[in-house]
Amino acid sequence: MALRFSKLAFSVLAILFLVAPLIAILPLAFTSSVILTYPIPSWSMRWFTELFTADAWRRAIVNSLIIGTGTTLLATVLGTAASLGLRNRLVFFRGTFRTLFLLPMVVPAVVLGVGMQVLLARFGLTNSYAGVIIAHTVVAVPFVVVSVTGALAGIDERVELAAESLGAPPATVFRRVTLPLALPGVLSGAVLAFATSLDEVVLTLFVAGPNQRTLARQMFSSIRENISPAIAAAAFLFIAATIAIGLIVVLSRSVLAKRRAPVH
Amino acid sequence: MSARASRTGRSLFLLAPLLLFLAGFFVWPLFSMMSQAVSDTAVLRLLPQSAEVLAGWDRKSPPTPEMQTALIADLKAVEDTQALGDMVRRLNSARSGFRTLMSKTTSALSDEADPPADLVSIDKRWERPEFWLAIADALSPLTDRNLLAAVDLGRNADGEIEHLPADQSVNRVILVRTFWISALVTFACIAIGYPYAIIAASLSGWKRDVMLAAVLLPLWTSLLVRTAAWFILLQEQGLINDVLQMLGLTSGPVQLIFNRTGVVIAMTHVLLPFMVLPIYSVLITIPKNLMPAAASLGAHPLRAFLRVLLPLSLRGVAAGSLLVFISAIGYYITPALIGGPGDQMISSIIAFYAIGSANWGMAGALGVVLLAATLVLYSVYARLSADEPGRR
Amino acid sequence: MRRRRSFLLPGGEKVAEGRMRGPALCPTARAREPLLAEFIRFDRITKFYGPLCVVENLDLGIGKGEFVSLLGPSGSGKTTLLMMLAGFEQPTSGTILVDGQAVNDVPTHKRDMGVVFQSYALFPHMTVGENIAFPLEMRGLGKAEIADRVTRALDMVQLSAMRERRPAQLSGGQQQRVALARALVFEPRVVLMDEPLGALDKQLREQMQLDIRDLHRRLGLTIVFVTHDQSEALTMSDRVAVFNKGKIEQIGTPRQVYDEPATRFVAEFIGETNLIEGVVARISGGEAAVRLASGAEIVSAVSGGVAEGATVYLSVRPERIELAEARNAAHNCLETEVTDSVYQGDHLRVELAAGSHPLIAKLGRRSREFEPGTKVFAAFSAGDCRVIAPPDGQRQAAAS
Repeated sequence: MALRFSKLAFSVLAILFLVAPLIAILPLAFTSSVILTYPIPSWSMRWFTELFTADAWRRAIVNSLIIGTGTTLLATVLGTAASLGLRNRLVFFRGTFRTLFLLPMVVPAVVLGVGMQVLLARFGLTNSYAGVIIAHTVVAVPFVVVSVTGALAGIDERVELAAESLGAPPATVFRRVTLPLALPGVLSGAVLAFATSLDEVVLTLFVAGPNQRTLARQMFSSIRENISPAIAAAAFLFIAATIAIGLIVVLSRSVLAKRRAPVH
Repeated sequence: MSARASRTGRSLFLLAPLLLFLAGFFVWPLFSMMSQAVSDTAVLRLLPQSAEVLAGWDRKSPPTPEMQTALIADLKAVEDTQALGDMVRRLNSARSGFRTLMSKTTSALSDEADPPADLVSIDKRWERPEFWLAIADALSPLTDRNLLAAVDLGRNADGEIEHLPADQSVNRVILVRTFWISALVTFACIAIGYPYAIIAASLSGWKRDVMLAAVLLPLWTSLLVRTAAWFILLQEQGLINDVLQMLGLTSGPVQLIFNRTGVVIAMTHVLLPFMVLPIYSVLITIPKNLMPAAASLGAHPLRAFLRVLLPLSLRGVAAGSLLVFISAIGYYITPALIGGPGDQMISSIIAFYAIGSANWGMAGALGVVLLAATLVLYSVYARLSADEPGRR
Repeated sequence: MRRRRSFLLPGGEKVAEGRMRGPALCPTARAREPLLAEFIRFDRITKFYGPLCVVENLDLGIGKGEFVSLLGPSGSGKTTLLMMLAGFEQPTSGTILVDGQAVNDVPTHKRDMGVVFQSYALFPHMTVGENIAFPLEMRGLGKAEIADRVTRALDMVQLSAMRERRPAQLSGGQQQRVALARALVFEPRVVLMDEPLGALDKQLREQMQLDIRDLHRRLGLTIVFVTHDQSEALTMSDRVAVFNKGKIEQIGTPRQVYDEPATRFVAEFIGETNLIEGVVARISGGEAAVRLASGAEIVSAVSGGVAEGATVYLSVRPERIELAEARNAAHNCLETEVTDSVYQGDHLRVELAAGSHPLIAKLGRRSREFEPGTKVFAAFSAGDCRVIAPPDGQRQAAAS
């Protein structure tokens, strides 16, 4: 009984530790005060207004959307193609390639940032959208590869063989069978790529100029220099988006699971 | 055979774009960073004429007049006094006495009224080959100076590796601090994450879902949002201090931010999911009836845990710890925003060298140290998770 | 197929395979309560999972040295009862007594019961030897004694060569034997088995059934055995408790539950049976005359609890039915028509229609073939069929 109680107490405290900070920040988005503390004197939308009208924030949001979209497209195309290539067991160094594709997740962002800045400077790509999109794609691509290879691994190869035996040429098999089955994986990979780009600060710090300042970068310097409830408003948007993205991922996974379910 | 070959060809064609992309924008940057760490063209850029002449010198005989003329011309052409200062400092560390020699020389050279005929006429020391040898060495484009300095080592006058004096030994302190903070965070994550994963794995239905969702929600939430949240909670008028004072645990606000406590708390929160998830994924593969079996065979719950659950889940704990530790040593944002000056980790120092002082050599060298540590730990982790039997 | 040598007898001496019973285990004598001293008692045990009642006010006594099977479909509460006896679950109400002592508050590790799990629950990170040594270590035995007893246990299950192997390197049957050795090595008071043979193939399972039964006899073990396989329960047990919806429908020797099913559920769950509905016309001298819807009258053995005028079922086992071309005055006879007949190797299965009522007969393989459409008489004696009283609700409905 004592054990059961201490288990319960521990679980509740741990969940509180994990979730409470995210919840605590939400109401502050609606404060009318200029300082980020409780109690909240009165409710207002002024910080959301600030977020969408103040030049620095508005441009940061637009930049994040531009860079996020570019990154998502590039990472999804590259990552999906590579995942399809990795499916073939005849390819040499398959394991090495897979490790290489996942390595950007592991290498510390600052290390990559230093190298990226040196290299992009050589190509004259620093302070350009292309440079930031390239940098973000490097760290976003592993998520696409993981997600798509996962989806591809779940496809029963006999289904594709069946399609071939029914007279479909390889291209048609790919278009009508493989791709639809892998689509949820591709979509969740794309969502993760976008989320990665949205949240990326360190590389942005190294390769982006003042004109490519993203929302995350803007939040970083705002916390560092002059913290204001605009941060809480931005955080509110992020958390709302996270929940939406989470739902999309969960839904696409359940669609995937349903499609994978054996036919009776 | 040809069908096989064409399939392989198609696969390679699909793999090629990402391979090229990563070779160009991932592998190459890392190599450029490493080459920054070992290349040093600062002196070469300052003394281009001397470099040409010194290339033909036998490194033993006294300086020729051409060498002296070239060096005079180079020194006269120098405009960047800061670079000159750096060079002098470097030459002085290779050959003591260079500082006084150089200041004497430069002031003599700037004397427009009475230009000196050659260097030896300014100071007798220019006759000695040792001083020229120092310049010749400094002209080499490759150097281990940065790499050594990254771990607080340097070369003495005789070229032997030795510890730098205490006033220059900052990097080792930061490396030790990085590993120490990472270890603290890893321990905190084990202390919270291991029991958490065990409880979650022992539950079913909505209770398990709630516990997993509580881990996944922070994982999916922006790192900046989480850091901002902790910033707000930990500040002097923050919620945590409010609660502590309300409960009467403290009389005044406790300093929780801009110090080690805040960094460890926030990093533990950020990295906890990376501990819970690997342990959880190992735990759910352990058959549920093993603990009841141990109990039926007469094992007290604690002994059953030590003999059965602990050894079986250790792989997950090790994987989670490595994952947390690897992530922690490369952390930048959280220490930068929540930590004080005494809590900056190696990434912050790299960023400082790279962005703050444009010292690419030192940034690169520290980057190499961090990269090497990360890759070694990651290879251990990869082996650990590849051994996983019956991986789902 | 070659039959594996029984692993339990050191000399490899063959166990008699018939369903032979010693005089002490005479079926009728031990029908309701054990002859041997009662060792385990479930006293009014009820178990709820949330709102779901899985065991309802259950009483059961098990004698020392007795082999009792808990038989029933999944969800009938049999495994829950075993889990409560092992201490993995707590009864919502009621008392479990072992050797006269209530054990409700005794934690599992102090109950001294060997449990063989459905999926064996061998520790994957320990060798076979370490697995078997585990309960002995927990009891603080000396190293030498542990080694000695592990050796003997491994000999007993003929796995001495596998001592240093990991469970994953063994076949299913070998793992099962390790689990058995581990549950027996510390000489527990009771051995609990939760469908231990479910994962084995048919032939291995039948061999293990005989092996475990033999072990029970030789070591005088008290065994509680959970299964949903009726033939397994009949093969191995001294007594079978048939579970349905958290209650025991019938408890008795294998012969009793097969030949004298007390309820329709037991009749249908154990073996195949023909159930024929009818109304009791007369009762006299342990026999009842039951009138069927077709007007035919059947005489059947009856064991009380049935009143004249009640609607009842008659249960006739298919193998007790004989097919004759002419009416046989000594037996019950039903006029039927063959609808199908299937040769099944050891018997001939004939499907019949008695008016609108289907019947199944299993005939010896020497029987002649029957073409569909053939008119035959289905004959069986009064002793070959049982009257099954309808449940309380139905009885009232029939009376009104």
